[in-house]
Formats: sequence, C-alpha cells, structure tokens
Amino acid sequence: MQDRRTLTDIQVNETLTNTVLKTPLLWYVILAFMGGIVMLGVVAVGLLVNMGQGLNGYNRPVMWAFFLTNMVFWIGISHAGVMLSAILRLAQAEFRRPATRAAEVLTVFALATAGLMPIVHLGRLWRAYWIFPYDFSRGIWPDVRSQAVWDPHAISTYLIGSSLFIFVALIPDLAVLRDRTTGIVHSIYTMLAMGWRGTVRQWRLQAIAGIILSALLLPVFVSVHSIVSWDFSMLVGVPSWHTTIFAPYFVIGAVHSGVAGVITVLVLMRWLFGWHDYIRREHIDSLARLLFVVALAWFFFFMLEFMFGLYHQEGTEMVVRELWLFHAPWNAIFVIFILTAFVIPVPLWLFRSVRRSFPLMFFTTILVNVGMWLERFLLIIPGLERKHPFTFSWGEYAPSIFEITIITATFALVATMILLFARAFPLIPLGDAKEARVLRDEIRIGRRTVQAVLREE
Amino acid sequence: MTVRTEWDHKWSMVVDIDRCTGCQACVVACQAENNVPINTEDIFKQSRAIEWIRIERYWEGEFPDVKARYLPAMCQHCGNAPCEPVCPVYATYHNDEGLNVQVYNRCIGTRFCANNCPFEMRFFNWWQPVWPESLRNQLNPDVTVRNRGIMEKCTFCVQRIRRAERTAIQEERDVKDGEFAPACVQACPTGTLVFGNSNDPNSRVAQLMKSDHPRRYRLLEHLGTEPNVVYLKKVDPYLKEEAHNGSH
Amino acid sequence: MDLTRRRFLQLSGVGALGAIVFNGCSIPETELEIQSPVLIPEDVVAGGESWYASLCRQCPSVEGVLVRVVEGRAKKVEGNPEYPLNLGKHSARCEAALQELYHPDRLQQPFRRDGATGQNKPITWDEGLNELVTRLKALRDAGQASRVLVITDPLRGHLGKVTQLFAAAYGAQHLAFEPMERVVLRQAIKDVYGQDRLPHFDIGNSAYVLSFGADFLGTWVSPVSHSVAYGEFRQGEGRGRGLLVQVEPRFSMTAASADRWLPVRPGTEGLLALALAREIIAEGLADPDAARALTDGRGIAALDAYGLERVADDTGLTTYFGKERAVQLIQEVAHDFATKRPSLALGGDTAAAHTNGLFNLRAIYALNYLVGSVGAKGGVIFNPPSPIDDVPDTASGAPLSRWQEVAERLQRGEFDVVITRGVNLVHGLPGALQFQEALKKADLIVSFASVPDDTTAIADLVLSEHVALEAWGDDIPDPAPGYQTVGFQQPVVRPLYDSRAFGDVLLAIAPEIGDDLGAALPWNTMQDVVKEGAQRLFALNRGWAKATAPFDAFWVRVLGGGGWWDTTAISAQKAPGASKAPAEPVRPSFAGDASSDAFYLLPFRSHALLEGRNAHLPWLQASPDPTTTGVWQTWVEINQKEAERLEIREGDLVELVSPAGAIEVIVYPTPAAAPDVLSVPMGQGHASYGRYAKKRGANPFQVIAPQKDETGALAWAATRVVIRKTEKRTRMIKLEGLVEARQMEESPVIQVTRGEEGS
Ligand SMILES: Nc1nc2c(c(=O)[nH]1)N[C@H]1C(S)=C(S)[C@@H](COP(=O)(O)OP(=O)(O)OC[C@H]3O[C@@H](n4cnc5c(=O)[nH]c(N)nc54)[C@H](O)[C@@H]3O)O[C@H]1N2
Ligand code: SF4
Ligand code: SF4
Ligand code: SF4
Ligand code: SF4
Ligand code: SF4
Repeated sequence: MQDRRTLTDIQVNETLTNTVLKTPLLWYVILAFMGGIVMLGVVAVGLLVNMGQGLNGYNRPVMWAFFLTNMVFWIGISHAGVMLSAILRLAQAEFRRPATRAAEVLTVFALATAGLMPIVHLGRLWRAYWIFPYDFSRGIWPDVRSQAVWDPHAISTYLIGSSLFIFVALIPDLAVLRDRTTGIVHSIYTMLAMGWRGTVRQWRLQAIAGIILSALLLPVFVSVHSIVSWDFSMLVGVPSWHTTIFAPYFVIGAVHSGVAGVITVLVLMRWLFGWHDYIRREHIDSLARLLFVVALAWFFFFMLEFMFGLYHQEGTEMVVRELWLFHAPWNAIFVIFILTAFVIPVPLWLFRSVRRSFPLMFFTTILVNVGMWLERFLLIIPGLERKHPFTFSWGEYAPSIFEITIITATFALVATMILLFARAFPLIPLGDAKEARVLRDEIRIGRRTVQAVLREE
Repeated sequence: MTVRTEWDHKWSMVVDIDRCTGCQACVVACQAENNVPINTEDIFKQSRAIEWIRIERYWEGEFPDVKARYLPAMCQHCGNAPCEPVCPVYATYHNDEGLNVQVYNRCIGTRFCANNCPFEMRFFNWWQPVWPESLRNQLNPDVTVRNRGIMEKCTFCVQRIRRAERTAIQEERDVKDGEFAPACVQACPTGTLVFGNSNDPNSRVAQLMKSDHPRRYRLLEHLGTEPNVVYLKKVDPYLKEEAHNGSH
Repeated sequence: MDLTRRRFLQLSGVGALGAIVFNGCSIPETELEIQSPVLIPEDVVAGGESWYASLCRQCPSVEGVLVRVVEGRAKKVEGNPEYPLNLGKHSARCEAALQELYHPDRLQQPFRRDGATGQNKPITWDEGLNELVTRLKALRDAGQASRVLVITDPLRGHLGKVTQLFAAAYGAQHLAFEPMERVVLRQAIKDVYGQDRLPHFDIGNSAYVLSFGADFLGTWVSPVSHSVAYGEFRQGEGRGRGLLVQVEPRFSMTAASADRWLPVRPGTEGLLALALAREIIAEGLADPDAARALTDGRGIAALDAYGLERVADDTGLTTYFGKERAVQLIQEVAHDFATKRPSLALGGDTAAAHTNGLFNLRAIYALNYLVGSVGAKGGVIFNPPSPIDDVPDTASGAPLSRWQEVAERLQRGEFDVVITRGVNLVHGLPGALQFQEALKKADLIVSFASVPDDTTAIADLVLSEHVALEAWGDDIPDPAPGYQTVGFQQPVVRPLYDSRAFGDVLLAIAPEIGDDLGAALPWNTMQDVVKEGAQRLFALNRGWAKATAPFDAFWVRVLGGGGWWDTTAISAQKAPGASKAPAEPVRPSFAGDASSDAFYLLPFRSHALLEGRNAHLPWLQASPDPTTTGVWQTWVEINQKEAERLEIREGDLVELVSPAGAIEVIVYPTPAAAPDVLSVPMGQGHASYGRYAKKRGANPFQVIAPQKDETGALAWAATRVVIRKTEKRTRMIKLEGLVEARQMEESPVIQVTRGEEGS
C-alpha cells in the first residue's frame, strides 16, 4: 500500500513553480560556476577566430575531430526529448509525465549546442551563413547535394519543431505564472500565455496540438540523426565511415544516450529542487526498462558495425578495427567505451533495486553517456587516422587545450541554459502533475500489486 | 576579361612512376609557382605541411632486398570528384576543361571535401600563412595568396593554362601541345610527369593515356572517381613472382 | 538577492559582449573586404612578364635557367630548355635561388666587426674597400704579398680568370674550397682515360648503368643532366628500358631508383669492380685488347686476388645475401654488364671517399674499357677543351692535405689577410682541423657574403655580395655535355641592396693597389669581361648563333639563349687504353673504434642542402629527403633490426662518437640500411647562417676524422663511430605519416609490373 499523500492544486503549483518564484541559493552557485566555464569556452572560440583553427589538434588527415564528435553526441542527447514526449504521449504512457518537459528542454538546448559545434569547427566561421540560400540577387546558392547543407536544415527544423512543442505544453503553466507575478514579468507571462483561461476547449486544443506535433516530429527525429550519420557514411573518402548501417545505428545510439541523459537530468532536478513527490521511483524504473531495451538494440547495431568490418576482411576496415583493439590509446578508449556504455550499466538495470535507486541510476546513466561520447570519438577519429590505402599519410590526433575547453563549455552551456529555463518556467508541467496526482504508484488487484503508471484513466 | 569557354580542352596528366627518382624538384617548383606557404619545422611537427604535389615513398621488402617505391601524388582532378558534391557552398566544382577548381573566396572551411577526397590531396590553411616581408617579393602575382581557414590543392596550375589560352586567343589559334606546362611538369627532370589536352588525340598525354597502354592504371580506380591523372606502372624486372603488387 | 542577481547577469552580459567584440576584431582585415565569392582570380591572369636566361649557382654543376620577372621582381626560376646540360629541367635547389635573393637575413651593406666588443658596425663600401686596399697595398709594398690568402669556391669561367689574375698579379695565394672535392675523381679520370676534364656520362643512350657509390641522380657531379638522361634511359622515345645497378653501402636516392642495390661494405667497391672484370674476362665477354692490357697478357690468373667467392666475402655480400646468392649476383651483374651494351660503369662519392679511393675509382672506370664503352655512345664521352683557351674550364677544391698545411701556416701566423668568398670553411672542413681557431690567427679576415654564415661570423670585414641573380658571369661547364659549351649569367633584377659582385670588387681595387695590377686586370666590370669572352666566341664564327652579326646582335642572341655552344666541337683526345690492374687489392683503413660495436659512418650530401650551402633556404630545408622524407633536422639512418637490438627507437637522440668528436642526432630506423652502416645527412649544424639554418641539427664534419686518400683528398667515409645513447627524445620530423609506409596488400597504390609485356 504505497498510497502517496494527496497534494492539493495549490501545493502542486507552489512546489513546481518554486524554481521560478523562489530561487534557491544553490541555483546561483551552480549557475555562476557553469556560466564561468561557458565564458572560458567563449574566450577559446574567440581565440580560434583570432588565430585560426591551427590552435586545435587537427592535422592532415584528421580534419574533423572533437567538435564534430561533440556535435553527434549532443544531437544524440537531444533525441530523448522527442523520444519520450512524442512516443510516450502518443502511446499515452503515464510515466512520461514528470519527464516530458525536462526531456524537451534538454532536446532544445542539446540541439542548439550541437548546432554550435560545426560552426565553431569552420575555418571561417564568420561565413557560416553562406550555407543558407540568402543571396538570391546574385544567384549564389548553396549546393543542396552537400550533407553540410542538409545538416543545418535538418537541425534547424528539429529545433523549431521542438521549441514549438515545448511552448504548446508550456502555455497552461505560463498562465499560472501570469497569475502569480506582477510588474513587467507579469506582462511578459501574459503575452506568452496567449489568453489561456483553462477552458475545456482550450485544454482540448492544447492536447490535440501536442499530439499533432508529436506525430510530425517523430519522422524529423529519425531523419535528423540519419542525416547526421550521412555526414560520415556517405563519404567514399573514409572507408570505415562508408557504411550503410550508420543511419539506424546512429538513431538508436542517440536514443540510448538521450534517454540516459534524461534520467540523469531528472535525478539532478529532484535533488536540486526537492521534487521528491513528482519524480518518483516508479518513473525512473520505467525509464530504465525502456533504456534496457534500447541498449540491447543499440548494442546489436554496434556489433553489426563491428562485424561488417571484419567480415569482408577489407584492409581499410581492418586497420581501424586493429587500431581500436590493439593500439594505445584507442584500445583503452575502446575498453572504457564498452564497459561504460554497455557492460556495466545494462546488466545492473536487470535489478529492480538498481532501477529504483536514484544514486545508482544517476551513476549508470552518466556511465552510458561517457561511453556514448567515446563511441562517437571511436567512430570518427580512427577512421580518419587510417583514411585509405595511402598509408604514407596515416596520422594521429590529440585534442588541444582549446578543444577540451570548448567541449567542457558545451556541457556547462547546456546546464546553464536549463538552469536559466528553470528560472523562467516550471520544469515539470503543472497540469500533468495535477492529472497524475490522483493516481497511485501501484494498485492492488486481488492479491497482486501492479504498476499503476502505464496508462491514464 | 571574360574567359572563353568553348575550348575543346580536357587537361590531363600522366605520371610514369618508373621514371620518378623522388628528387622533389616538382614539389619545390609547385611551391614556388603557387605561393604555397613555407612549411616550417613547426608545421611539419603538426602534420600540417602543404605540398600540392608530394612524393610518397613506400617501403617494400626487407634488407637487403628492400625497395623504395615513389608515388608523385597531386589532385587527381577526378571526373567524378567526391570532393565536389559535399561542399555546401560550391567552393569546389568542376569546370568544363576537366579541372577540379577551388574558389578560395567561397570556401568557409568545413573540410568536408578533404575528408571525402580519397587521395588525400586537399590541404587546409590552419594558420594565416606568413612570409618575411622580403620573401613576399617572390610571390607569384598570378596566384591568390590564400587566407587561413580555407582549403587549397593542386589547380593543375590554372593560371598557366589561362595565360596560354589568352595568348592563343590573341594569336587566333588553339593552344599547342607542349606549349606550356604546369610548374611541376616543367621542372621534372626525368620526364615522369606529362601534361596536356587529352581531348586532342595527337597530344603526348593522350597517346600515353590510351586505354591499351600496357602499364596504365589509375589510383583507387575501384572507387569510380574517374581520376584525370593516369599512372604508368613501375617496372621491376626482378619483381618476385609471389609479390602482391597488382602485377599481372 | 535581487541586486546580486542583476549584478550577476550584468557581469555575464559584459563578459559575453567582450568576447563577441574580441571575435569581431580578430577577423582578418582582408576577410571584411567585399570579394566576389565565385571568381577565381587565376582565371583572369593579366600583367606582363619577362623571362631572362641566366645561370643557376645553387650547386656546383651550374646550369642554364630562365627567370621570370614581373614588375622588376624575380618570381620563378626554371630550367632553360636550350641549355645543353639541363635541357629545360632543374632540381629543387635552383628554385630556391629566389629565396636567396629575397632572404630576410641578407646583408644589406658591408659591415666591420669590432674585434674587442664583437659588435657589427655598418659601414659604406668606400670605407670597407679603403681598409682592404690600404691593407693589401701596405703588405705588398712591404714585400709580404704572400701573406695574403684568397679562398674562393672553385671558379670556372671569367670570374675564375679574374680571380686567378688578381691573385697572381698581387702575389697572393689562391685556393679553392669545396667540402667534398672531386680530387680523387679527377685523378682517376686522368689516370684511366688520360683526360683533364670530367667526361660526359652518356646515361641516356646506355642500356646498362653500373654505378659504384655515385649518387648521380641526387647530388653527384651533374644530377639534373643525369636525371634528364635517366628519364630517357627508362624507356625514352624509341628505346627499351635500361637497367640500373647501384653498388653502394648506403641506400641513396640513386640506389632507391636502381633495379638492383648491392650494399657492399664501405671501401670494397674497387674489389667488386675487379671481380666483375675477372668474371667478364673469364666468360670471354670482354673486349680482347682491354682484357689483355688489364691482365698484362696473363689472362685471369693476373686477377687471382679477385676471385668471386673471396670478393663475395670481402664485400660483405655473403653476409647479407648468403654465399650462393652473393656469388650468383656478382656473376649476373658481370654477365649483364658485358652483354647488355652499351653499358656504362661510373663511380664516385662513397667509393672515392676512402683511403683507397683512387684504387676503387681506377678499377671502376677501367671496366668501361672491357665493354668498349670508352669514347662511345652510351658510355664515357670525353669533353673538348674550353673554346676560350685562357679561361679556366675545370675547377676543383684543394685536397684536405692542402687545408691541413694552410691550417698549420695560419697557426704559425704566416697569413695576415684572408679573403674568403662563397666558402664556409668553418662548417665544411673536418672539425679536427680546428680551422676556425687557425683562421682567427689572421689579422684581417675579409668575407664576401650575401647571407652571413659561420665563416662570416668570425670575419672582421664583411662585404655584402650580389647573389647570382644580380650579377654578371659565365661558365664553362665541367663536365660539359660532350661538346663545347659556354653559359652566360646576366643579372635579372636590379640589386636589392647595397651589395657588389666579387669580380667587380677585384677589378675595382686592382688599380688602386698597384698600377701593374690595374694593367693585369684592364676591365672595369665583370660585364665587360664576360662581353669580351663573348667577343672571342663571336670571332670563332661557329656554334648555334654563328650567322648572327654584328657582334651586338650576337651578344643579344647568346644572352637571350643563355649561352653559346657548338655541338660539332667534340673531343679529339684519345684514351690511352686500359692499364694493368693491381695484383693485390688496396684495402681501406678506418679511423675509430675497430670493434664490432662500431658502425661505418657514411655522411651524405642532402639532396637539397648539399653540404650545407643551401641550408639557409626554407624551401630546401622543408624539402623531404627522398628516402627518409626527413626535413629540417639531422638524423641518423640505422638498420631497423640493429635499432631493435640496441633498443633505440625513432626519435631517440643519440650521440655518434668518433675519435674526431661527437654529434647528437635523431634516430631513424629504416629497412634500407646495412646493419653495420650509419648514414647521416650533411647540411645542418650552422652556428650562423640566417634564421632558417641557425642552430639546427648537427654537422657530420664534426665527427669525420681527417683521413686521406693517396691524392691527399679527404676520405670522408673512412670513419667509424659508436652510438652513445642519451635519455633524450624528440620527434623525427618527416613528411611520411606516423606509420611506416608500406602498401596495403590488396590495394597497392603503386602498381608494379615485371615489364615483359614491353613498353
Ligand atoms: N570591381 C570594380 N571593377 C572595376 C572598377 C571598379 O571600381 N570596381 N573600375 C573600372 C575602371 S574605371 C577601370 S579603369 C578598370 C581598370 O582595370 P584594369 O585595367 O584591369 O586595371 P588594373 O587593375 O590596375 O590592372 C592593370 C594590370 O596591368 C599591370 N601593369 C602595370 N603596369 C604595367 C605595364 O607597364 N605594362 C603592362 N603590360 N602591364 C602593366 C598590372 O600589374 C595589372 O595587372 O577597372 C574597372 N573595373
Ligand atoms: S583528387 Fe581529391 S581533391 Fe582532387 S578532384 Fe579528386 S577528390 Fe577532389
Ligand atoms: S572546406 Fe571549403 S571547399 Fe571544402 S567543402 Fe568546405 S567550404 Fe567547400
Ligand atoms: S599541376 Fe601545378 S598546382 Fe598541380 S601539383 Fe603541379 S605545379 Fe602544383
Ligand atoms: S620531379 Fe619528377 S622525378 Fe623528381 S620527384 Fe617529381 S615526379 Fe619524381
Ligand atoms: S642542379 Fe644545381 S646548377 Fe643545376 S639547376 Fe639545380 S641547383 Fe642549379
């Protein structure tokens, strides 16, 4: 009998808006710290502009490295938002409730960060806008055959779509905030709330909009990471990248790291904002089950990728496998990657106690993302170091301090943006929380206790 | 001045690797002609040396039966160039004389093209190229000095092609075979490199490129990039029977 | 709290703004100009250009070049297609003449060094020449003219003549210096063929070239003309493919291009040559007269000391290939050399640089008699004498024995004034000679230089010299291409700085030193001298510009063409025929540790920097070594297995120690090195030579022991060294990537054929 104490509407409103209306001191401390790291990153980017990409560890043939690894990583993280919100919304999965907003916010900010990476990577980043068709008068167009044109368009579509998604879900909460604020802030919320009064018609429209957006965003979610994978897999110049499996492999990998990322963020928020009543054991338990399935599927694709290289015994593929397995530092990275992305966390999730332990889930999901970052690194760099049969030009890569700083700053940037968002908007949808309030974690049917989080009414 | 485009020109190169001695004359000639930045010790340390044409040296066998095999390698001006469609801004494209052209002004430095060049023939300006003031006197006024942040590679000495074509226009004739040569070809003492208009069946290059030439091959031909540079195989009369050298 | 929050946001806002402004300001200026993003400027080249014929002086072979000049600036150096030696081709070295011209550390005016403070004080030419003239005049008037020593690079043509006349008329000593002189080669050519001039090696028409030690494609004698011929040799128009066999303890660039490399033990090249001779005679394939002469009519019994098996052992081939195969290889080479005619044997470099160098070269060059290749197409073709008779047409550096003597005399204070031009004695003589200390004993060291080098650094009076592209001159090539040739060197740009040509200075000071000197050198400028030479050629009324008259038209024509040559003016000199082979071999002796821990040290000229004269030119510093692809450094090539045995890896710094000294070099393990040999490129190790050469790498002359051949020449390959490990490591800088480049079996980028299918 684990009936939860019943919360009143007022209680819900108060606790869930407390990030907005009453800011904990810790918020400032963390924001200052994260903001400081972001500033370091901005200075590093400034120096890149000032001195040139030479400051980074790039060379010939390793012309892509940390930044694009990081881009793929953040795009991966961003997949959680749609995965959770859209699929679960469509599937009416109950356990999504507290997670959706956080997941969507993570999506948007991770995506925005991912979008920054290729810009920072450009030799002339002040000319980045040239990849958009803007110069109609002179008839100068971007080349639509280029993945580098697909990429920004896919990412911006996804970014716009998921921003809308958040916004639609946010409207009722904005109205709550409107009602609880005064002055200029009040006017801003008033504007954003767009006249929300909570009528039945409005609720219905809002729900329908959410469902339509979910349905529209799903194909985008699949396509974005497929397109990102084509940045690599369509290149004949890098034999180990040139493989058809990349698109689904990248998508499933993205879901793996994305869902793990959401769990990490949920646990962090629960701890930071004290939302013990809203982010509950059964939520992360359910997410962990999902993660378990995704991880297995992802590992299957990884094995396929690995095997395909071995299977046809082509030298250019074999040298990359050889690098992964037998040469420092790649062999170490490979081992860490396998352990962290799969071998350690996945069997642990078989245990209910693990799935329901916040610290352990925090730990295992962090592991997953460490592993998944390394996975992208392993996919991208060794392939370039052993690019083709011109063994004369085979090379090595090591990141410079600038790359490391900027990469670190992207993590801080996402954290900063989430913190700032939390200052302005509730991170858990009030409405959803209220709807779910009446439900129990488990219900008894006869002598059995079953999960109560799978379906609404 | 407008560029006459109705030429029936396809500029091609033949590399007879049986002749190459690895002497590096072509490399320095290209650097002199094309304002390639000085490859300092630091640049080499960073594995960022720029050599539009480079001599790759492969070891074969062990002492005392060891061989050094030389491969002069420059942009292959692929007919079906993988570097071109990946460029988001058309900074690299194919012109109607068979050249893979690089528009420095347009390049934004994605390095996509470099990754997709299977021949490793694209070079990035990681730093702003600098010359001591007095050495700038040597820079070729016909060739752009590239800024940092952009890609560059062998152009088949397009400025020499244009100069020859302009002269031909003025003299109301076509460009003659052997009338001019890219810097590397001009320098190469052993005659390893041969350049010309392969659309002209009588040109030396067309003769050597013929598909029935017994030593003809192209680099990574299986990729289907249709390189415009044809190689003639190394001859090794003492080649071991069992050696795996694509010798048939 | 409110305030804190606002303050916080303000602060971060200011920070972000600052970073953005900082970004904006650092975009290169040119970036903000409006450029057409689709135009390639190369498509619309415009502007005038001129091409001037001249001569290249970046290496001793001196070849014809065309220099592109745009708006008064030299832009490109290319081979002169008309010039008989290089036929429009050139090497990596000559391009860099531009970098010499525009070198950022060029001397812009003369200067005087204050001996006490070591400070350089810029002076005017008048001041500089005044001091020199006063000094020379005083010495001469005191009857001490012989206390003046003039040291130049080997000078041919009219500059050679002017310098010789000046030294003779003044009464000074004149010596030519070249770090790796060709004394032994010249002596061997004289002994074997009776020739005063180096012959033309007709590689282009040869079917089989057997080279002993001579890196003729890289640095030996006339590499560009050899390379042009080599291109022909490898299936040129209307001919089959020639075979090249390189007998050399080091894997040189020529060995790399050879069809077969025979790594013999250093100093045993002559042995192998005589074994080949014996085998050819034994097989009955030799020219009978030559065979008789070589064996003194006794048949192969006279060559008993050169039995196949014995030589296979002595040359070390047995150790590397196994007895059976070694013998078989020698037999095969002998057979092919004798049957694939025309064949050509040549030798030099390491084969000559031993205490038995002359023995080796005599044996090697005698081989050509056996196959009828002396004075024949595809063989050794003799060169005619100079068309202008009193102008030096050969020049070689003095042998080591002379320098030892000079060093002693300097030490004894027998020279007051030393004038150097175009030579870096401090860098290029074996360190054991202590030449720098000896030189400092002179009262006044006058150095003509365009970029100050190690020798200039100790000079008292430094006179800024023109570079070749600014000066007049001419050259009578040695070796000539088989017929009479004179090349003309004209200035292609106006001098950039306050510099003068060496010849012009000699002509200017001669009359000031004494009237008799003025009378001996009755010209005003080198231009006059060169023009007078042309007048004498004009008077011959032959050569390619023959019908051109009057002289002024002829002068313009030969200047524009780069020189004068007469393909019909060939050598009439006959060869004396083969002479008796020595009954007993002369064996090499080595300085240094004789134990098995020691290695033979084979220093070699860098293909680009040569012995160091081009070390100041960044293009050449950055030009990868053809075999190791190393740049900017000094490394030691060591056999991979030996390196493993010694537990040293690529990038380790080791010391090579000989009785003469030690140098620190970077280890480069290679599959292409004999186990008992270490080779080290020359060229680096300058204390001073402009920003690109200064304090970089090591100078192998510091470890070369002053061993001599019977001619007195430096036997620079006759030193043995031991490796002393240091704890230091660095990175071997090379073009090759970070993995030893070997082709992938299933996708070789270099395809090889045995070539049976013809062409
Ligand atoms: N974008 C843009 N285009 C313009 C204009 C503009 O304002 N903006 N202005 C237009 C106008 S008004 C003009 S007049 C034109 C000018 O256009 P151009 O006539 O092309 O003038 P310049 O750019 O000065 O180039 C002249 C060339 O001649 C070379 N030169 C210099 N001296 C000599 C010499 O003595 N002999 C020879 N053979 N060559 C020499 C120079 O090196 C240079 O390459 O441009 C027109 N085009
Ligand atoms: S060789 Fe490389 S750079 Fe040149 S055209 Fe082909 S793909 Fe492009
Ligand atoms: S680096 Fe330049 S040329 Fe290459 S793909 Fe990017 S924009 Fe195009
Ligand atoms: S063709 Fe011109 S640009 Fe290309 S490698 Fe040769 S010299 Fe360089
Ligand atoms: S110049 Fe000719 S022979 Fe020399 S390295 Fe280049 S291609 Fe080879
Ligand atoms: S080989 Fe020597 S002389 Fe000949 S062109 Fe080159 S540098 Fe000049």
